[in-house]
Amino acid sequence: MSTTVNLSQMQKDHGDFIERVRKLSGQDVRKCYQCGKCSAGCAVHNCQGMDVSPNRVMRMVQLGMEEEVLKSKTIWVCVLCSTCTTRCPRDIDIARVMDALRILSKKNNTFVNAKNANTFHETFMNSIIKYGRVYEAGLAVTLTLKYGYGFNLIGIGPAALAKGTLPFFPPKLKNPEQIKKIVENVEKIERMEGEK
Amino acid sequence: MKYAYYPGCSLHGPAKGYDLSVKAVCKNLDIELWEVPDWTCCGASSAHSFGHLLGLAIPAQTLVPAEQEGLDIVAPCAACWQRLVWVNHEVTTNAKTRDEINQAIGAELTGSSKVLSIMEAVASAGMEKIAQATKKPLKGLKIAAYYGCYYVKPPKVAHVDDPESPKLIDDIMAAVGAEPVDWPYKTECCGASLGFVEFDTTLAMSAKVLDYAIKSGADMIVTACPLCQQNLDMQQSTINKKFGTNHKIPVTYFTQLMAYAFGMSDKEAAMHKNFTSYQSALAKLG
Ligand code: SF4
Ligand code: SF4
Repeated sequence: MSTTVNLSQMQKDHGDFIERVRKLSGQDVRKCYQCGKCSAGCAVHNCQGMDVSPNRVMRMVQLGMEEEVLKSKTIWVCVLCSTCTTRCPRDIDIARVMDALRILSKKNNTFVNAKNANTFHETFMNSIIKYGRVYEAGLAVTLTLKYGYGFNLIGIGPAALAKGTLPFFPPKLKNPEQIKKIVENVEKIERMEGEK
Repeated sequence: MKYAYYPGCSLHGPAKGYDLSVKAVCKNLDIELWEVPDWTCCGASSAHSFGHLLGLAIPAQTLVPAEQEGLDIVAPCAACWQRLVWVNHEVTTNAKTRDEINQAIGAELTGSSKVLSIMEAVASAGMEKIAQATKKPLKGLKIAAYYGCYYVKPPKVAHVDDPESPKLIDDIMAAVGAEPVDWPYKTECCGASLGFVEFDTTLAMSAKVLDYAIKSGADMIVTACPLCQQNLDMQQSTINKKFGTNHKIPVTYFTQLMAYAFGMSDKEAAMHKNFTSYQSALAKLG
């Protein structure tokens, strides 16, 4: 984030951002006083996996930097391990904030820095909507096709098949439509909530 | 003792050895498991990133038969377990969310079935009984009990044990004669869930866990999470290639070692389904 930002303009334009995050996550990010404990203990951040550290994500939410934060890679590579949440002296569930930012980023279609994450989650959801359970072999094949052949899964698949631990055929449920039905119901409930 | 049992997708797939050993251990401890009929995926670790309610409603369905039977429920997968615990947390603390969940699944959940991790279920038999069931004590085997993140964080919701320094698996392992080592990475995340997203970061995170376990003098890493087990075990050779290390530490489910201590062979405990060779570690036992 080397470019200069006009903070007062930002807060004027996105003043309600922190409120939307609160609604989705139940967490009040205003409480964060930037001690940095969340970042210090974050395993992903410590392996240089993030583009913005977790405490900076919190600061960006405070400042209404909506676009920037929703485009960050961090919100998608966060593993939701809740180490930060466990240690935050201000009792903020940072992992839930990250998850709420993901939901917003999906709504706005702003996952430019985390295409694999989006592909994975969508493929996973489609798989369980279709079969009711995860169909690993099918998931691995679909993902490999979508990611391109450079992807590592190719290496895992055959070894796991040889061990007999990766079932070749999709799971068979008496009623495979259970998850599909729930997804439809949740969409209905959320639509009604939105109209209120 | 009787519990409802929710194996979850991975125990019916790549973590078959876990499923087999959980069942064997419970049988030995007179714990009866009643598998939830026609169960569905818990949605981890994707559904909640599509919407909070969706992330709760999908796993909620699994709790319905357990409540109807009046049984507490055991989920041996850490990710499934945490999703179910979240459902109960919301159902018992947030009336609006409870109503929405119930509307989405067409049921009346009340949160009456406790969601137990497999460590708690096994420990409910009592350490004495576990020690009595042990026919081949694992004397001299040094184990690093690895809890991962899901079971202990965030502690307000997921609280099997202390979030920074848990010891339930250590205690169970000590009851079957093994020697738990003290080590600092018990609850650090191994990065398994990033495997499909940012594989290089997964490898870097796992490498640290392996490093510390070995430095602490462990012969074996013992876990209760299928994501951790598969990741640390299966990726070990890739990690060695990438970081120029030569790690060869077996990673087993704690129930596999228990089953072995209860008198089953390594094959019956499905240890041969794991990737990293475990023979030399078990050879120490004579
Ligand atoms: S630990 Fe809490 S208070 Fe400290 S920087 Fe992180 S979010 Fe803010
Ligand atoms: S929940 Fe996310 S931000 Fe927090 S410690 Fe874990 S990976 Fe880092």
